Amino acid sequence: MNNLNARNRKFAANSRAVFSGLALAALILAPGVRADETCSSPYLARIEGQEEFVYVWTLGVEGLGDGSDKLVVVDVKPGSRNYGKVIHSQSVGGRHEAHHGGFTDDRRQLWLAGLESSRIFVFDVRSEPARPRLVKTVENFEKTTGGAIGPHGAYALPGRVLIPCLSNARDKSGRTALVEFSNEGDYIATHWLPTKDEPGKALGAEFADGYGYDARVLPRKNVLLTTSFTGWKNYMRDFGDLVKDADAMKQFGATMVLWDFHTRQPRKVFQVPGAPLEIRWAWGPKHNYAFTAAALASKLWLCYEDEKGEWQAKEVAHIGDPKGGVLPVDISISADDKTLFVDCFGDGKCRVFDVSDPHQPRQMYEKQIGRQLNMVSQSWDGKRLYFTSSLLAHWDKGGDDNEQFLRAYAWDGKELKSKFELDFTALKLGRPHHMLFGSTKIGN
Amino acid sequence: MNSTRNSFRAVVLIVTALGRTLPATDHDYDPPVPGSYTLPKVKPAADGDVLDSKGQPLRLHELTHDRVTVMSFIYTRCAAAGACPYATGVLNELHQASSEDRALAKGMRLISMSFDPTADTPERMAAYSALAQGRPFAAEWHFLTTRSRAELQPILDSYGQGVDKKRNPFDPTGPLNHTLRVFLIDHHGNIRNIYSSGTLDPRLVLADVRTLLMEASPANQASPAN
Repeated sequence: MNNLNARNRKFAANSRAVFSGLALAALILAPGVRADETCSSPYLARIEGQEEFVYVWTLGVEGLGDGSDKLVVVDVKPGSRNYGKVIHSQSVGGRHEAHHGGFTDDRRQLWLAGLESSRIFVFDVRSEPARPRLVKTVENFEKTTGGAIGPHGAYALPGRVLIPCLSNARDKSGRTALVEFSNEGDYIATHWLPTKDEPGKALGAEFADGYGYDARVLPRKNVLLTTSFTGWKNYMRDFGDLVKDADAMKQFGATMVLWDFHTRQPRKVFQVPGAPLEIRWAWGPKHNYAFTAAALASKLWLCYEDEKGEWQAKEVAHIGDPKGGVLPVDISISADDKTLFVDCFGDGKCRVFDVSDPHQPRQMYEKQIGRQLNMVSQSWDGKRLYFTSSLLAHWDKGGDDNEQFLRAYAWDGKELKSKFELDFTALKLGRPHHMLFGSTKIGN
Repeated sequence: MNSTRNSFRAVVLIVTALGRTLPATDHDYDPPVPGSYTLPKVKPAADGDVLDSKGQPLRLHELTHDRVTVMSFIYTRCAAAGACPYATGVLNELHQASSEDRALAKGMRLISMSFDPTADTPERMAAYSALAQGRPFAAEWHFLTTRSRAELQPILDSYGQGVDKKRNPFDPTGPLNHTLRVFLIDHHGNIRNIYSSGTLDPRLVLADVRTLLMEASPANQASPAN
């Protein structure tokens, strides 16, 4: 054992030397090309320069156009004669509650998931980036995964995708799992979120609800963070009925889980009441923290490594009155970690926070984007932001408040200025949801 | 040929030497204890027709069974420090470690597999293999190529190794675009992990290799994970 420890220490020392040298060499030898969305997986092959397309995963609406969920492509290449216009659309047939998706790490495929049917639609975005082509459909997700349903997007890992789910087939509650598939579509594993009765090795498991939502990795620290939402029987239910059902409203997530990423073992469960949703890790080389927003509580939370090397989670900002519709949904951190954009569904505003001190965020700006608001995608240089409107088909507003749009803005550090907008209802496309950047120029 | 061999060796050694003066920041965690976790099966490792560094034809399956194999896709014209030289540097670290660990030397195999048959002839791969010399007790390390693109492509497709030509064929970091890929393959020829940028920490790879060696040990009487 002593010899093994000595060998491991020597190996570790040599390894650190190699990696430090390689990091230095990379800085010296390689040009600093970084682009792409700030919420991308750190394992994802990057766009070179500016995004050329915005891919929009769009929910179909009965009676509107073909009524099908579809991948819509918007041209955002500067100087293009089609700038700000829809240049392509590929319907997948049927409505599946199109929600989130993600690229494979080599950026050759785009996996788009349906929360209702649990189908995953795989598009080739490499052969012709302006016209992605549906090449495969994963149709037996529930059976293959051992009962996980509600795939909530796809997160690029080396050679595989990580799919955080929202629910399970047995009782359609929020009890759920993380699922892995290879880039070629081979099923790899299901990792059920820890519960009080099945805690794994997690500290704080007495609070674990087993719920899931987002899953993101900080490679430098070998940690994976997950959040928690609600299950199929809630997210597929009419929102007006849901909020009147006190028992149903108790079935929302109230936890975040920190995992050992390499071993896929939960390490610690944090109590985060009010359905913490999107996770955004900071990008700075020594910034070991991530933000999330608890939607039902209208709070901003920080998960961070403290001075002792322990991971903690705490509330760091109050966003607004949740009863007044200030329900934070999607968030976006700038590449320099100084600015956080917080979209609020109910009041349709984007609130911008100075997070230079992540422990004391300060709201610096807000903008009325629409009557309802959900997703935000930000360019790496922080100069362009894209917003879409739809949250869930049964939760979106009705009547005139049911605006369905993609709105693009320029950000100069002080205010958002409109660049273009697309009315997805007038275009007979549907409810626009998740946005991802495309390009003909992909770096390594 | 000597100058080519020496230049390849120099790339890895210089990078290693630079690193000895700097603190590590890229992998700030302790590696897991081998055997404390499981590695699910990803898929069977594909077969194919390859050539070794002596020009002898082989089937890839001959080198992906009976030991724990770490296989790295590279091309020798790659000058992107974070890509192929990086991957080769990691395999070099594993090779070095095995020269001091008998069980590792007997149980592990390393493969550097080129996806550039035009430039990476068996002779060139033999020159590239120079960095592995001088460790008589270390694990096997094979340097492979293929006769042609036609024989290479099915292998690349099966492993999911994408390779494209860059717009600028004179790009100083090399003429080919590719995603860094290193595969961990168990005794039965099943892929059990895939490493790329951000996860190719030799300590993690070593922990995974040891985990699979423990899994396959007679004392454990383990079956390969499904």
